[in-house]
Amino acid sequence: MIDKFFNPSSVAIIGASDKPGKVGKVILENFLKKFNGKIYPVNPNYDVIMGLKCYKSVRELPEPPDLAVIVIPAPSVPEVLEELGAKGTKAVIIISGGFRETNTPQGEMLEEKVKEIAAKYGIRIIGPNCIGIFDNWSGVDTFFLPEEKMKRPPKGYVGFISQSGAFASAIIDWMAYNNIGVSRAVSYGNKVDVDDVDLLKFFMSDEKTKIVLMYLEGLKTSRGKEFIKVARELVKVKPAVIYKAGKTSRGSMAAASHTAALAGDYSLYKSAIKQSGLIEAESFDEIMDIAKVFLTQPLMNGNKVYVVTDAGGVGVMLTDALTSQGFEMPRTPPDLKEELRSILPPHCIVENPIDLTGDTDDERYMKVLERILPRKEVDAVVVVALPQVPGIRGLLADYLIEAKNKYGKPIIAVAIGGEEARKISQKLESGGIPVFESPERAAKALKALYTYSMIKKEV
Amino acid sequence: MIPREIIKNALNEGRTKLLEHEAFQVIKYYGINSPDVVVVRNGEEAKSLADKIGYPVALKIVSPDISHKSDVGGVKLNLKSPEEVGRAVDEMLKTVKTKAPNARLVGVLMYRMAPQGLEVIVGGVRDGIFGPVVMFGLGGIFVEVLKDVSFRVSPIRMEDALEMLREIKSYKVLEGYRGQPPVNKDAIAEIIVKTSKLLEENPEIESIDLNPVMAYPDSAMAVDARIILKKP
Repeated sequence: MIDKFFNPSSVAIIGASDKPGKVGKVILENFLKKFNGKIYPVNPNYDVIMGLKCYKSVRELPEPPDLAVIVIPAPSVPEVLEELGAKGTKAVIIISGGFRETNTPQGEMLEEKVKEIAAKYGIRIIGPNCIGIFDNWSGVDTFFLPEEKMKRPPKGYVGFISQSGAFASAIIDWMAYNNIGVSRAVSYGNKVDVDDVDLLKFFMSDEKTKIVLMYLEGLKTSRGKEFIKVARELVKVKPAVIYKAGKTSRGSMAAASHTAALAGDYSLYKSAIKQSGLIEAESFDEIMDIAKVFLTQPLMNGNKVYVVTDAGGVGVMLTDALTSQGFEMPRTPPDLKEELRSILPPHCIVENPIDLTGDTDDERYMKVLERILPRKEVDAVVVVALPQVPGIRGLLADYLIEAKNKYGKPIIAVAIGGEEARKISQKLESGGIPVFESPERAAKALKALYTYSMIKKEV
Repeated sequence: MIPREIIKNALNEGRTKLLEHEAFQVIKYYGINSPDVVVVRNGEEAKSLADKIGYPVALKIVSPDISHKSDVGGVKLNLKSPEEVGRAVDEMLKTVKTKAPNARLVGVLMYRMAPQGLEVIVGGVRDGIFGPVVMFGLGGIFVEVLKDVSFRVSPIRMEDALEMLREIKSYKVLEGYRGQPPVNKDAIAEIIVKTSKLLEENPEIESIDLNPVMAYPDSAMAVDARIILKKP
């Protein structure tokens, strides 16, 4: 059923407009640009709008649209919803605000009415007070932020669920800038009907989504168990990263109870996230870092990490960062030491982290990595390539991209610096080697990959 | 009485907090290790039961109207003979009647004091979103000040409960320190699992605190139980 939201064959836009700055204009334009199905603008003030026949009301539509998008003032929404129900539409996105979020009796009443009508006709609803759906594959795009303000990312495989519309649009814009492909993004606002659990279910079987990112403020009452259950099913199939923000209001508790007093929302969510096998990101940076790693890297077999660097200092920082994330950095075994000594100048350090020093060149890295990557005591490699070193010319990037596929082990990179670093990073990232600007971020992202690898083994 | 009847009784009487002996009966029904308790109405009755309970004996006033028992003289500990116990019960009833003249008195709870062990807390609460959740933490400052606790959403399996133990920052304390032997982690985990089951099966229970649970090298025992019911 939820599928109709993402793959409708026809859509009605109630409140379509051609007035600059109007939400109804941006949404209509979005559909005109990308959507291949039928588009029915509805607005009593137009006969024709952007070259399309405009209908005075829902009743006049030649067929029940698969999906309806409502962008009219809140007080008129129940009436239109009633008409849509009578017509037979089953999926409705209500963009309009002015409901429960206003904390007014009128807003609450309107929301109750919406619920009632939806239940009466069996309509599924996303919203109200949301920005709805951005679907890169079907062209459904109700994000009312014009493209010149919010770039759309390329077609890809990241799916989003976001309570916050602002967060959803910010992250979409960020992904567009970083050329990370998105499958579908949903911002559900007041969550009068369709919620996180429904969407996780949808993404579980969505072939276009390989990783799910989720921004959550709070679940609906009594949905916790179902959420954990569905998430556990989902993570068997694909990784999901969650960022938990804000607090929810819950019914008053027996304040006399010790446990009740300590059961702050977040501590319960934290446990639930752990129980569900979702990967928790603790900051915006982490969400993106983790996404980059999940999208490009194979899973890890164990927790042993090797570091190859041309900068001793960064090697030490990485050692601290990796070990404090719980990674093991194995000592180099005698036979490998011997082998490395025979191919490296005597001033290089063959212990882990392996330091190729500032006079290194691409070839030196390649020779060493070729010997390290196949070893069974290596589950992932972090390559530090400080671009300021004169011998680094670009061959290394090509090699790393190939080696990742050849050995099926995660390879990530740390590049610190300005313009040169940015150049190397772009090349590496376009080839599927994620690059991090700090050892700590690299270590945390790798930890997420390791955590999911272990969850996947378990479930 | 089985838990359902105890809970029904309490709600019929308009109480949302179970009396001590009722709470002990409920946790016992679920196999949570706890001291045998009896409620006596006078010193004579107490005296006749003291030997059976074993020493040292602890006494606590049982009343739906008194929440701070020691403030009204409603707690006596470390009583070591039948005479001492009998006298203490009569005294307690007298003192409490003077200090809290309007309180309904059910009797005096009597049980054998548990030897000192490592004090931990197991608690459960019914959350609006997640339903029954169970908490674990070490007693005292670890919970009060550091809020070093872990939670799980029910149902909780033995391995989840053991993970809850490992999750707290002060976990090492469970493994023994300053010559203290390690405590029995399985025994604590079992109490967690049983608390989870208790909450699942009794939707009227809003929260439960087993505080403290004495943890020993070979076992663990809930020496105080507090059960709060939902307002109907």
